[in-house]
Parts: sequence; C-alpha cells; structure tokens
Amino acid sequence: MTNYILQLKDVVKKFGGVIALDGAQFQLKKGEVHALMGENGAGKSTFIKVITGIHKPDSGTILLDGKSVSFKSPLDSEKLGIAAIYQHVTAFPDLSVVENIFMGREITTKFHTYDWKAMRKRAKEIIAPLSDRIDVSKPMNTLSVAQQQLVEIAKALSREARILIMDEPTASLTKHECEELYKIVDRLRAQGVSIIFITHKFEDMYRVATRVTVLRDSKYIGTWDVDKISNHDLITAMVGRELDQMYPDKTSTIGEVVLEVKNISKEGYYKNVSFNAKKGEILALTGLVGAGRTEVCQSLFGILTPDSGEILLDKKLINIKSPIDALKMGIGLLPEDRQVQGLINELPIYQNVTAPVLNRFIKKGVLSVDDEMNKSIELCEKIQLKAKNIEETPASLSGGNQQKVVFAKLLNCDLRILILDEPTKGIDVGAKYSIYEIMNELASKGYAIIMVSSEMPEVLGMADRIVVMSSGRVTDSFSTKEATQERILEASLNKKLFEVRGE
Amino acid sequence: MDNKNLEIRDLKVKEKFTIKKFLLRWEMILIYILVLINIVLMISKPNLYFEASTIPSIIQSGMDLSFMVLGMIFILMLGDIDVSIASIMILSSMVMGLIMDAGINSVIAVICGIIAGGLCGLFNGILVAKINMPSVIVTIATMSLFRGIVKIVLDVNVLKNFPEVFKTLSWHNLFGFIPLSLICFLIFAVVFSVFLHKSKFGRELYMIGNNKVASKYSGINVEKVKIIAFVSMGVMSAVSAIFFVGRMGGGVSSTMGKGYELEVIAIAVLGGISTSGGKGKVYGPVIATLIMSFLSYTLGLLGVDANTRKIVTGVILIIAVLIPNINKQLFKNIKEFLLSKKINN
Amino acid sequence: MAENIFRKITQYRNFGLLVGMIILIILGLIITPAMFTMDSIISMLRNNSIYAILAIGMMFVLLTGGIDLSVGSTLALTGVVSSLLMSTNPGIPAVIWVLVSILIGALCGFVNGFLIGKLNMIPMISTLGTMYAFRGLAFLISGGSWLFPHLFTPGYTWYSGGNFLGIYNITWIAIILFILAAIFLSITKPGRRIYAIGTSSESSKVSGINEGNVKILSYTLCGALSGLAGMLYTANHAISFYGMAEGFEMQAIAICILGGVSIVGGKGRIDGIVISTVMMAFISYFISLLPGLSVWQDAIQGGIIIIAVVINIITLKMADKRTLKEKGALI
Repeated sequence: MTNYILQLKDVVKKFGGVIALDGAQFQLKKGEVHALMGENGAGKSTFIKVITGIHKPDSGTILLDGKSVSFKSPLDSEKLGIAAIYQHVTAFPDLSVVENIFMGREITTKFHTYDWKAMRKRAKEIIAPLSDRIDVSKPMNTLSVAQQQLVEIAKALSREARILIMDEPTASLTKHECEELYKIVDRLRAQGVSIIFITHKFEDMYRVATRVTVLRDSKYIGTWDVDKISNHDLITAMVGRELDQMYPDKTSTIGEVVLEVKNISKEGYYKNVSFNAKKGEILALTGLVGAGRTEVCQSLFGILTPDSGEILLDKKLINIKSPIDALKMGIGLLPEDRQVQGLINELPIYQNVTAPVLNRFIKKGVLSVDDEMNKSIELCEKIQLKAKNIEETPASLSGGNQQKVVFAKLLNCDLRILILDEPTKGIDVGAKYSIYEIMNELASKGYAIIMVSSEMPEVLGMADRIVVMSSGRVTDSFSTKEATQERILEASLNKKLFEVRGE
Repeated sequence: MDNKNLEIRDLKVKEKFTIKKFLLRWEMILIYILVLINIVLMISKPNLYFEASTIPSIIQSGMDLSFMVLGMIFILMLGDIDVSIASIMILSSMVMGLIMDAGINSVIAVICGIIAGGLCGLFNGILVAKINMPSVIVTIATMSLFRGIVKIVLDVNVLKNFPEVFKTLSWHNLFGFIPLSLICFLIFAVVFSVFLHKSKFGRELYMIGNNKVASKYSGINVEKVKIIAFVSMGVMSAVSAIFFVGRMGGGVSSTMGKGYELEVIAIAVLGGISTSGGKGKVYGPVIATLIMSFLSYTLGLLGVDANTRKIVTGVILIIAVLIPNINKQLFKNIKEFLLSKKINN
Repeated sequence: MAENIFRKITQYRNFGLLVGMIILIILGLIITPAMFTMDSIISMLRNNSIYAILAIGMMFVLLTGGIDLSVGSTLALTGVVSSLLMSTNPGIPAVIWVLVSILIGALCGFVNGFLIGKLNMIPMISTLGTMYAFRGLAFLISGGSWLFPHLFTPGYTWYSGGNFLGIYNITWIAIILFILAAIFLSITKPGRRIYAIGTSSESSKVSGINEGNVKILSYTLCGALSGLAGMLYTANHAISFYGMAEGFEMQAIAICILGGVSIVGGKGRIDGIVISTVMMAFISYFISLLPGLSVWQDAIQGGIIIIAVVINIITLKMADKRTLKEKGALI
C-alpha cells in the first residue's frame, strides 16, 4: 500500500444525469510508467481531470502517498507535484519557450524585474535532456507540435512534478519523434517520476509501460501487467460489452451508388480517402477522435476543399466550393457541434428550420412567416420534436430535441445524401432511439446516409457498411455482417502497429 | 406520435400576456423619452414650442444624417461597424458638385454621387468580407483614404454648384409644417423596415449577426450579405449627402462633416441595435433620431453649444451600450456573490 | 565572422521594415536633397515626437487586442487644462503641469480601461464614445477659446522646445519613453502580462492572470502617455485650443500597424514602432516638401494602414499553411 504514490478508490463523477466515472479504481506505483487505455468516451479525460483537480469527485477517495487529498483547484494538485500534459497545448503562442516555461513562476532580479538571462539559462538546462534542437528564445508557435509537447514536459518538470500525466503524447508525432519521447520517458522514470501514459497505440504501451489499466463506458475494467496480457484480451477488455442497446429494424433496400469519393487528400487533415455512398444505405465512418472524419465530411459539404482527388455525384464530377453548392447538389450536413455550427440559438425554431431554403417562402417579394411556421410544424411533427411552440428558441430544448431541429432543417431541403457527424452525441438513451428511427426512415426513403460515429455499438447497430479511419487515412472497410468490435478497434488503432509484437 | 405537442401560438393568449412586456420594450421606452422631452419643452418654452416653424426645424436639423442611421442598422446588425461614412458622404457630394460644375444634368450628377457612395461601400465590403479584415480597422483606414481623395481633388476649394432641389428637400415643409425631409426619411425607413423584417436579406442579417458559423453551415452566403450591407451603407451616405449639402447652403469642402460617424452610431445604438449584432428593429433608431434632434435643440436652448453636445452624444453612446450589459453583469455578480457565500458556509 | 554578422542582421525581426526605411531615405536624398540638412531633420523629429509618444500608448492597448480612439481627445483635454492652469498661474514651476497632465490623462485612460476591462464593452465603441466625450470636455473647460503664445511661460515651453546637445527636449522625452516602454514590456511582470492576455486569453485564465486588471493598466498607461503628449504638444506649438490633435489617433494606429504590432494582440516590439515612426515622419515631411503633394497625406495614411493590415493577414495565413504542412507529413 505504501508503495503506491497515487490511488483512486471508488471514484464517481457525474455531470447532470450522465455518469462520467463509475467507481474508478487506480493504483500508481512510485516510479512506474502506467498505461491507461480505453475508447473515446470511456472516461479517460474525466479521470485525468479528477486527478489534476479540475473536477471534484462526487464520491470516492484519492490518496497521495497514502494520505487522502482533496483538490479545490488545479493549482492545489500542481503544488502537490501533479502535472498533466495535454494534446491541446495551453500555451502562449506568441511568447517564447522560456516565457511559457516560467509563466507564473518567473525568476526575478532584486528589482522584481524578469531575469531573462537566468531564465534562459535554466530553460536551456531543462530542455537539454529533452531536445537539443529547441531554441528557447523562439516563440512557441514556431515550434512543431512535438517540440511544443517537449516544452510542456519541461514546464512540468520544472515544477518538480512527481506524477506526470501524459494525454496521448504520441498522437501527433513522427516515428522518430516517438522514439525520442520514449527515451525521455525512460529517463524520467529513472529519475523517479511516476507517469500515467494515456494512449491508443499498443506500441507505446509495450515500449514504455509496465502495467496497463483499461476503462470502458466509464467503468474500471481491470489492471494487468503489460507482458502478461495478450493483444486480443486487451481489446476484448476495451470493447467486450454486451450489445444490448435496442436498434430499430431496418427496412430499406440498398440501391445504386450516388456518391463516389475517390482518393481525396487535404494537406494536414487526410490522405487518399475513398469510399462510396449508396441509396438507402447507412455508411458508418468511424475511428478515433482526430482521425480526420469530420474534416472529410466538411470537405463533402464545402466547408473545406480537398487539395486533390475526385468527388462524383451520379457518376459526374462535382466541385463543392461552399455549403450553398453542397445543398444545391443534394448533400446536407448535420454538423458535429450543434451549438456553434448547427443552430442559431437566439432565433426561433422555425427560423432555424427554414434558414437554408428561405427562397421557398417568399410570396410577393416578402417572407411569409405563416408559411414558414406551417412548414416547420409539419416537419417537426414528423420527427416528433417536443417543444412548447414553434417560436421558442432552441436554447430551451433538450439535446435530443435540439438535434431534431437540425434534422428538420435538413429535411426542409431537397437532399439525397445526408452526412451526420456524431448525430447522437450528448443525447440521452431515449432520444437516441428516436433519432435512430428517423435515420432508418430516411434510409428507407432512399437517402444515402453517411454517419460519423465514435460509438461502436451504434456503428454496429445502425450501419450497413463500415469505413474505418485512422490518422487521416482509411484503414479498413467492410460490411456490418463481417464486423466485430475488435476488428473496428484494430482498424482504428491502425493495424500496422500490431506487427511490433508479431501477433 | 403526439400531435398536441406543437401549436402555433394562440394569438389571443399571447397578446394579453405580453401587453406589459410590450410597454416595457426598449423602443417603447424611447417613445416615452421623446414624449417627455416634448412635454418639457412645451412647458418651459410654450411660445417657442407652439410657433409654427419650431418643430419642423427641429426635426429637419437631424434629417441629414438620418439616412446614414438606416444604413448603419444593417452594418451593426452584422456585428460590424463603419466609421468611414462621413468621408463617403463628403466624397459623394464632391462627385455631385464636380459633375454639376462640368455643366452636366443634375439628375446625372445625383446618380453619379450615389454610385460613388456605393463604390466606396463596395471597397469596404470587399476588404471586410473577402479578405477578412476587421471592419474597425478597414473603415478607420478608408475614413482617411476617402477624405484624403476629396482633399486631393478639391484642395482648399469649395464646391458651390449644386441642384436647387437639394435645398428644397432639406428645408421645405409640406403644408407648411411637415418637413419634406422627414417624409423622405420615413419613406426610406419603411423600405428598410420591410427589408429588415420581411425580406430574405433581413433574415440573413439577423442570422449572421447572431451566429456567423451556423449561418454558413445553413447555406447562407455570408460574403454576399456583408458586401450588400456595406454597399447600401455607402449608398445611404450618398443620400445623406444630398440633405447635408442642402442644409449647408450648397457649399462643400474637404473638411466638413467630421464627427458624423459618432452621432450616427450613437443614434443607432440608442435605438436598440446591439453592437455585437443580431438584435434590434428599424423603428427604434427612427425614434432615436428624433430624440437626438430634440435633445440637441433643448441643449441649444439651455445655452449648451455644439461642441459640448458632442460630449453628451459620446456619453449617451456609452450608456446606451452599457445598459443591457450592466444588467447581465449585475446578475452575474449577484449570482457569484451568493455562490461564494454558499461555499464558505 | 562577417557571415555571422550578416546572418544576424537579416534575421533581425524588423529587418524588412528597416530596409524599407533606408530605401525611403535614399529616395528622399535623391529627390529632395534639401530635406537633409541637420536642422530640418531635427525639426522634423521635433514635430513627430508627439506621434511617437501616442504610438507607445496605442501599442500597449493594441497588444491586449483592443484599440483606443480617444488618444487625440485625451491629448486635447490635458493640453487645454495644463496650458490654462499654466497661463493663470505663471509662478508655479512647469514640472507641476507635466505631472498634472499625466494624471489627468491617466484618469481618462482609467475610464476607458474600466469600461473595457471591467464592464466588458467593445473597445471600438467605448473609445469612440470617450473620444467625443473628452473632446467635448476640452471645449467646456477652454470655453471654446484659444490660448496664444504670449500666454505661455518659457518654463513650460522649455519641456518641448528646449535644446540639449542639439536635439529638442521633446525628442529626448520621446527617446526616453521608448526606452522605458521597451524595458516595461520586456522585463516587468505587468508588461509581460500585457503580451500574455493578448496572445491567449484562455491560457492567461488558466495561469491565474486577471485579464480585466491588465487591460485597465494598459488603457491607463495609454491615457497617461496621451496626457503627457497633451502638455508637450501645447508646449511645442505654444498654442492651445480644444480642437487640436484631431486625427492623431489615426497616425498612432498607422505607426503601430506599420511597425508590426498585430491588431489581434500579443505581438509587437518597440523597435518596430521606432522605425515606423521615423518612416512616417519622413513620409509626411517628404509630402510637405513636394509642392502639391501635401493634400495626399490623408489618403496615403489610409492606404498605408490597409496595405499593412493586408500584409499582416497574409503573414498569418502563411504561418497557418506551414502548420498544416507539418501535420500533413504525419499522415
């Protein structure tokens, strides 16, 4: 027990009605590198935030060096030697590396002015073991992502962190940079720092970690020695759940191909992506967050334009330069971020619903609000929107109903292809079923549906075919009949890395 | 499958419920203020007030920039701003004057002036909408640029040759007491109102002003709307030029009209147009225009000169923007205070 | 060895700007050699030192991502007050008036800072309001009348017109302020905080920086500088009236943007605005010398700002492209 520098016992964290952590257990040995794995939404980020003091657990205990602790703010955990390094670096882009490292803890002269010379010297010392190529006087935004991460590590070390949490540090690194990072982790371990290493890559885990903990659906699944568990068992631990969510029956017939995406690439986002969408079919585009799925969708909708490749609609080459083009061609997008991209919260529901097709409601040169409201009521009733009246603003609706407003908006247009980006994100179970019903009905009416989803059960329950993306590329595609959760996860993690262990 | 979930609002029910709310609306408060000022004037200077020419001339004094107020409504609605309007006004009056000097038909001169205003607005619009420059900086720069062009062309000269109709429009009273300029203003106001509240363009303005991103995702051509707003601002500045020249007695030089942009923005904001975009109606600024005219006059009677009135305008602008903010802030502060008390207990 | 020096020079952040200035000077030499007498240059510096002082204050504000349109009016207000007080109390040492104007300016700046930092008003709108409010106050206080040279005490005008080592005092003051500002922005905590909130509001919050207070500080400093400029301006011309310094805010903004200060905040250096002040000074001097060109002043100023901002935006876009290219290499 005294061997453990950090322990979590039965930690529970809820947000409203949603359970983000359901009785988490965790033991971190002093000086060990402990991997934390799990799918998106498994609870990993809440886990970190509880340890760093951003969230306060609703129940359960956190023990530091055997003593129970309670953090009132992230600064508390920092004082006790806990530091976290995130993917989205919270840095000051225009300020130098030195300043970023020392923000809030500057070295000052006796006149209370910045002692740049001392800070530069110290910064170089801190950075040296991590990288020999970073010029500490340069602004953060001139550094590569990998280098920025190293600066964050340096920053954490300079605060004498004893526990370092690294959140997917290898996500944006080249193979070479990963190697460098592994060496640094080794060195940190040798210095006695205990590390929680969150990753999706098995390769990372094998290389640096001695033990691995798996979270799934906010629950603690288990902890194993890395060299004592097989890949297969690990994957099962991550996804091996009962598929008990009910999905409505599908009655659509799959027709011919309407949309062909051929080898589209966009520098920095995705490469050589190809797939087809058929009438009446629900195609799931899945993978881990950051795989590039949303960017592909945005490229089909005219928000982004591919650098190369072709998109064919009914075998004819098309050029989608803006959402206006996309809608005209019959392609609609249900965006990932409802609040920012999907809805105008300050305006009434019916105005949201009629936004893309205002031309249709012009009578004698002016907008006919009556027509707008009637049509909106018609559409909203069709999808069973629960609202007091059509003039309410979406802000007062539940997540599920807000999403339905966006659906209604899309149904108002003459579309043939619907791209739904995480359609059930942040929606409770009952409303989800309702949305699945809508999707099935649309499919049976002949729409081609492309659904981006990170929820495996949803993918397996709703899709006819599955395309998996990882790090900007399509890694696998197969029909749902051939699919298993394991196969999807393997593709999401990019199978190549399995060759490490020869399995 | 419950059809009773949705109802078009029951008109009768809503009306009864909201008479109270209606009476407390910002625009109604403006009407009260206007009435109040009138009553104060009536009581303190009854002879002056009831003299036939007083009210019409008060109203007329605010009519020259009133047209720019209408144009500014569209700009502010988008969440943008345009401080180059006074310079556009002078530039288009210069164009009109020069063409008249060249002996060309006055109708053509006016049309050219309006086109010139529109082109200035187009320049602003392209920089803001296509190149994504902040409208603050763009219009500060064009404020100098456009006036600079007038300076280059005119140097120290004064243009004096303008159509007589300008003076008529600015000074004539229909039936002896209804200013022609007011009628013109109200006609334009109605047109703007129809556009803002009933047209597709107006709806798009509201949408973009509230959420530019979601508007884009809904297939709205944000660039086009912005450019049209800036062009119409330029056009309205040119229309204002007609009345401005008329009031000035038909002489235009490169140094005139400075400071109008502040008054226009202040009136629009006073009229209930939010500077962050997406909120407001046309009749608010219409009433605010009248309020400013009466306020100016009243201040003038009290011996306050034109320049001090500028302070008042500046202060009014700040207060008008602050009031909705202060409410929010106040609530936030009260909430935080109560919350912190709860934690400490 | 020479190679190293060459590399160091070209890597200098404002190298392009420096080159621009040198080219301008060379052009000037060729076209109007009359421009380059020692006297005329020192005179030119004297008259442009005001803009330098205003630009420093404007820079503080721009660095936080804001803007201050009221600097010209603050100048007018403090100029009117201090010259009035001086003329009615000629016995009091002029240094008091310097302090008074700095104080009044700081107060004006504080009003701006409070509206923007604590009440969260949009800088554009609130400083538009104070721009007119302050000028109106200047009118009120001056009663609309002018103060003519004979009412100015020599002790007062010395602050601007006095001569030390051949350079006018006002220029010395500008130089000292440049140095102080550079020190403030580079090695003091509040100065660095200004950059911090300008570059990332979010990270600042996480690091425990009070954004509102930093903004209040920057606007107050801007006001104080504008206040000082007010006293110096009236001392320089031995004249004071409420309508002076109209359009000076434009000049200050132009200098800052040309000097590489980013409109969105977080970026900008004193040496940049030193160079751009000199450039703008040369440009206006240039224009005033060439017959018939003086009317081009305003138009050129506006044009410069537009071009400078467009360049600013293009540079940002190129940086974004670079980041994407990097990410692309990983896919």
